[in-house]
Amino acid sequence: MFKRLAAIVMALMVVTAAAAQPYRDSITVDLPNDAATLDPHLQWDTDSYAIYRNIFDNLVTRDVSGKIVPQIAESWRQVDDTTLTFKIRTGVKFHDGSPLTAEDVAYSIRRIIDPALRSPQLSQFDQIASAEATDATTVLMKTKAPYPALMAQLVKLSIVPKAVVERVGAQAFNLQPVGSGPYKLRAWQRGVGVTLDAVPDYWRGRPPFDTANFRVVPDVATRIADLQTGRADIVRQLGPDEAVRIKSDAKLQVLAAPTERIGYMFINAVSGPTQDVRVRRAIAHAIDRKTLIEALLQGYGKEVDVVLTPANFGYIEGIGGNAFDPARAKALLRDANAVNAQLSFLTSPAYDRRLVEALQQMLQEVGFRVDIQTMDQPTFLRRRQGRPDEAGSISLGRWSCACQDADGVIFPLFRSGSIWAKYSNADFDKEVDAARATLDEAKRLTHYRRAFEILRDEVPGLGLYQDFAIYGARREIRWQPTANEAFFLFDMRWRP
Amino acid sequence: MPRYLLSRLLQAVLTTFGVMTIVFFVMRLSGDPVLLLVPEGATREHIETVRRELGFDQPIWRQYLTFLGGLLNLELGVSVVQRVPAWDILASRIPYTLALAGAALVVAVGLGVPAGIAMAIWRGRWFERPIAALVVTGQSMPTFLSGILMIMLFAVTLRWLPSSGVDGPASVVMPAIALGMLSMSTFARMARIAVVDELGKDYVRAGLARGLPLGKVVTRHVLRNAAIPVVTIAALETGNLLAGAIIVETVFAWPGIGQLAIQAIQSRDFLVVQAIVLFVSLVYVAVNLAADLLYASIDPRIRLGKT
Repeated sequence: MFKRLAAIVMALMVVTAAAAQPYRDSITVDLPNDAATLDPHLQWDTDSYAIYRNIFDNLVTRDVSGKIVPQIAESWRQVDDTTLTFKIRTGVKFHDGSPLTAEDVAYSIRRIIDPALRSPQLSQFDQIASAEATDATTVLMKTKAPYPALMAQLVKLSIVPKAVVERVGAQAFNLQPVGSGPYKLRAWQRGVGVTLDAVPDYWRGRPPFDTANFRVVPDVATRIADLQTGRADIVRQLGPDEAVRIKSDAKLQVLAAPTERIGYMFINAVSGPTQDVRVRRAIAHAIDRKTLIEALLQGYGKEVDVVLTPANFGYIEGIGGNAFDPARAKALLRDANAVNAQLSFLTSPAYDRRLVEALQQMLQEVGFRVDIQTMDQPTFLRRRQGRPDEAGSISLGRWSCACQDADGVIFPLFRSGSIWAKYSNADFDKEVDAARATLDEAKRLTHYRRAFEILRDEVPGLGLYQDFAIYGARREIRWQPTANEAFFLFDMRWRP
Repeated sequence: MPRYLLSRLLQAVLTTFGVMTIVFFVMRLSGDPVLLLVPEGATREHIETVRRELGFDQPIWRQYLTFLGGLLNLELGVSVVQRVPAWDILASRIPYTLALAGAALVVAVGLGVPAGIAMAIWRGRWFERPIAALVVTGQSMPTFLSGILMIMLFAVTLRWLPSSGVDGPASVVMPAIALGMLSMSTFARMARIAVVDELGKDYVRAGLARGLPLGKVVTRHVLRNAAIPVVTIAALETGNLLAGAIIVETVFAWPGIGQLAIQAIQSRDFLVVQAIVLFVSLVYVAVNLAADLLYASIDPRIRLGKT
């Protein structure tokens, strides 16, 4: 009896194992969430991005090294400090067969900066004053002021067909998007997933898979089970612990890349005990980044000493200054007459609880009392962005401007007047203002070096680690994840 | 009877209205949705623009009136996050939830009621114990654990069932068991109590004295009388199964209303959350009403509306 049962089980396993062999002309992706919208101008969370950026082409893009390279724009030229012209590629077709023209590009820009569209990306593009097609292949773009991060922002600009959007309207376009990318939408089953078909005559070449299935699998343990059973070929958003699990399975691999996301600690410089710069420095010296990264992030993080990652323009190597030194932290606290000072540590479920508690422990070891206050994310954001006396003494942040430029990080975080800044320093303001007002890269770097030196001495925030994006995949998949967390199917391959 | 029905319907409308009012205010007082809808680097001006565009700058009583007006017109609004009518989003998930709840109810009743009857008939004997243990385990094991354990065993190791998603009837097996196990214990306990209760009654003793076998007494007479409390539980459990599958749907990637609720709450998709609450409260009201009406058909002695 038992033998027969075992035989049946074995037979079933062989059958399902055979069925689970990778289907060479398709790929299945597990995402933690469904796309919020497939209209690229409406939502830009990572899961929506992972899907619709395969349906659309972007004005410019980044190569694996992070360099900005042509895509729909063949080339571009800075006419003066506030004017650029883009030469638009010819021969690109939308999925409905109509050609992509300079007018579609100009329309895409005007659409996303129109406040009536309510695009959450508005603040990334609102430095653009106007865009118009001067002929069939040229777009003239003007910015309100010299804007050095412009090209970095335009990496995220998907080109939509003007005629289709105007004909069907925004709501219908969201459900039936038409792009010019390597894949076109076959079906979107809300909450279940999205199926894409390859566009065989795509202008960059034949896409690697005939079909791509995106499945919505919210639970990370289930995503891993899907990988192990062959239901999914690649899954997004794993934590460090799950990566360790994947590594122990010979059929699977971990694909990870450092991103432009910075894990940092905010320190309130305007209110509470942390008003004293010696207290803020004591916090900085109390934190052992190496232990955090090795013990909690399993190595999937890279130590940084500024609030910026090496993947961003403006990153300055070797600013130094706030190394782990508990003795010095204790001395600073005694100096400031702040031994046993009470720090309120604001946090929300968006932040890793173990990280929060490890930091609490490190701070308590040098003589702070740390009170962790947990609240839901909207309340956390309201307090963190609101009045300084309500913002707590410290909190964690994981910041990405999706623009890989210091201007999108330390300007909103520390410039006086910004909703995030609980810090005000005229010298710092001068440097970051100057860095955003010139297009000269060497000058910008000089300004950022000075800005980071000020931040090092004043510690209104503390860089902890460069975040990693972690994917799990079948061994046979070849792909190099990038710092901007782009998920381009076109760059993936089945190993021959 | 019509009068009874009318007053019950009126009650249902009032209940639903009360629930919707509470949800409206709780959602709005618990945090600022606009902050979640803009990117991290958004400027103060951008945040204000979004607030104005969405009408969140209006005083809360005016927002409430707009909301009530919408409800009266059966207009649930367009999701702020997904830009699709909230009703469409909800409607696309209802079939999945119904399928899962139905399958789970089959598991719960199919296993729970026989287990309860068995425990009642053989109460005090040694094999009541293992059945009781099984029933208690089913209830006390949290679904996020039992779900993952099932996936590890039946999907990863044995490869009998798909690990997630919706591909044919095989996909519903594990989520239905995980969800049904919780209600199963309730059915088992309820059935046991009801049967034990009936077994002590005179007509049972009379039947047995007349020489009827126990099995016949139970199937012919006891079960019919014991059914009333079980039907009540079934109605309440249907409500729970429709509303309470949040964890099961998340673990098994089942695209029902529970999963939608989590996503909508996380992204502060107000109108979708309101639509879900409206749906769930209507379900509860409806199943309770249905249970009351069912009593009458099971037990003609119950005359509705006449006390």
